[in-house]
Amino acid sequence: MFTEFFYKLRDSGVPVTPTSFLTLHRALNKGLINSLEDFYTASRTILIKSERYFDLYDQIFAYYFEGAEMPDEEELELNETIRALLDEWLKNPKVLADALGWDEATLKKLTPDELIEYLKERLKEQTERHDGGDKWIGTGGTSPVGHSGYHPGGLRIGGGSRNKSAVKVANERRFKDYSRMGPLTQASMGEALKRLRNMIPSGPRDQVNIEESIYQTMKNAGEIEIVFDRSLKDRLKVILAIDNGGWSMDPYIPVVQTLFNHARSNFKDLKIYYFHNTVYSELWEDPTRRKKPKPVEEFARMDPETRLILVGDASMARYELLGVDGSIYVQERSGKPSIERLAFLAKTFPHSAWLNPVSERSWRYIETVVYIAQIFPMFSLTIDGLEEAVTHLMAA
Amino acid sequence: MKKGNRSQKFTGATKYVVDDELAKIVNISMALEMPLLLKGEPGTGKTMLAHAIAQSLGMPLIVLNVKSNMKLVDALYQYDTLTRLNDSRFGDSGRDVSRIEDYIKMGKIGQAFTAETRTVLLIDEIDKADTDFQDDMLDVLDQMEFDIIEIDKTVSARYRPVIVITSNAKKDLSDPFLGRCNFHHIAFPNPEGMQEIIRVHFPDLEANLAKHAIATFYRLREIDMVEKKPATRELINWIRALQLDPDFKTQNLAKGEVPYLGVLFKKSQDYVVADSYVNRRRPF
Repeated sequence: MFTEFFYKLRDSGVPVTPTSFLTLHRALNKGLINSLEDFYTASRTILIKSERYFDLYDQIFAYYFEGAEMPDEEELELNETIRALLDEWLKNPKVLADALGWDEATLKKLTPDELIEYLKERLKEQTERHDGGDKWIGTGGTSPVGHSGYHPGGLRIGGGSRNKSAVKVANERRFKDYSRMGPLTQASMGEALKRLRNMIPSGPRDQVNIEESIYQTMKNAGEIEIVFDRSLKDRLKVILAIDNGGWSMDPYIPVVQTLFNHARSNFKDLKIYYFHNTVYSELWEDPTRRKKPKPVEEFARMDPETRLILVGDASMARYELLGVDGSIYVQERSGKPSIERLAFLAKTFPHSAWLNPVSERSWRYIETVVYIAQIFPMFSLTIDGLEEAVTHLMAA
Repeated sequence: MKKGNRSQKFTGATKYVVDDELAKIVNISMALEMPLLLKGEPGTGKTMLAHAIAQSLGMPLIVLNVKSNMKLVDALYQYDTLTRLNDSRFGDSGRDVSRIEDYIKMGKIGQAFTAETRTVLLIDEIDKADTDFQDDMLDVLDQMEFDIIEIDKTVSARYRPVIVITSNAKKDLSDPFLGRCNFHHIAFPNPEGMQEIIRVHFPDLEANLAKHAIATFYRLREIDMVEKKPATRELINWIRALQLDPDFKTQNLAKGEVPYLGVLFKKSQDYVVADSYVNRRRPF
């Protein structure tokens, strides 16, 4: 009974096991299930083991028992992408209006759903046409929704930067990874970061050292002698430097924010600095990068055992990294190319890592990423990447 | 092994609001004699459910609070070597030092197995422990028995306990473990459900106050950038605080004032974020 339903679930990628299917039948035989509603609840609680699949289960259930249409997978993804983009845009309606070539009043007349429909049409067109279309991408071109060299006038879908076209970002389907690998939540980050520890004895002597106790007791001719030790405490120093400037980092801010929140609660001695794109003469202690600069030279005085973690997409123009006065800010004129500053930091802190939120596959196409990866070991900002980075940081 | 009374059915308890679906799931798990794994945001009442089951079925509740460094054997039994060592040196207790059994103490799972009646065993926040703990526990829960190695004795369950396991989804649980459990995810209650919960906790709360308090609560939950969103527990405490304040008026809530923000947001950063949100609200 219901074998077809079972296989439908399996084919759709819901991990259901034969054992649980048999359990479901046990429930049926016991007369616990008397209606379709009962069956829905029972089979979900028995077969589905993670809320991640609840939605899919609902769809398949509806299809199988009520003849609903199977949702078109591509359609779903498109919807999801657009919704995420829309969320970004709604924070700044003017940018959206400019990008579409409408004034804000026109935009306000549209309901979110209408807007989504409109954008979906446009996105579909683009998928069919691919590169070279004049409706989507083009530097300063005919398309209203396009990528142009200055911001915020041009709209970059998903916050693509110079060598990442809008549609490429949309096609990267950042959200798909999340559903498959599990979202990079605070908790999972905590798990990954937990290994980043350097245990040093501290505090009162309240832990029994068993081996030493046995040894001392034996030496004492069997008269019990208990030896106490201090418990191990984490004394690791961590510097976290984050690229919080510019459009190219915008889509990753929630992820990075999560990382930061967690880092704060996880480490005793954590210092956070900010930079834009890359490091010039200073790192900043305040997120606005205005009030509290800290010259890079001063880092040389810090404990070299400190772990340095940089977070950034490492994507920028070539001159920003290699030019003598590469900074895009006029007031930052230090006379040394940024790449030398980075090398200096890497030399100061032998245990360092660069976390890059950009998908690992595209790293080798971005020139500055290649350069920076030669200075700092680079890891992707995913659970796996974070774990690799932590392993690397803890290696002697 | 005797089975418990089959006709017992769970329908809810005095202080716990249960929807039909959840009641159904609890009953199916009890009938199939499978542990029920509950996942969900903190504050959705996972732990409370076990209390409610125990209360409504009149069974004693045994709570195993899982800790990160816990070994399974700690949950089963403890062999108190230190007392035995002490007794052997001074010999002034009534215990027989040569009888190891005298020094075995039952852990929470052990207590549930040896209890005189059917019990509800709540294994709280299993995700805190490492996967070894979960895998080891599988056998015990499957066979409903465990060995005490020191005295070479097998303890088997006299009555199969009703097992409720909760997880905050910090880590994914292992597949074989999931395979042996029934699963339910408790979603955060919607405003209507919350109204019901508040009504159960505060039977004579003024309806207008409840409405505004809940509306404010859900608005505050929508603030991004907050690490720990306020949950049901915070809401209940907050309403309690509002009731105690003689100067408080419901209109103030409607106007957008939020007194006692610290009851809802307990992390200092969150408090700052929420405070600035409340005091400088944007039109949308």
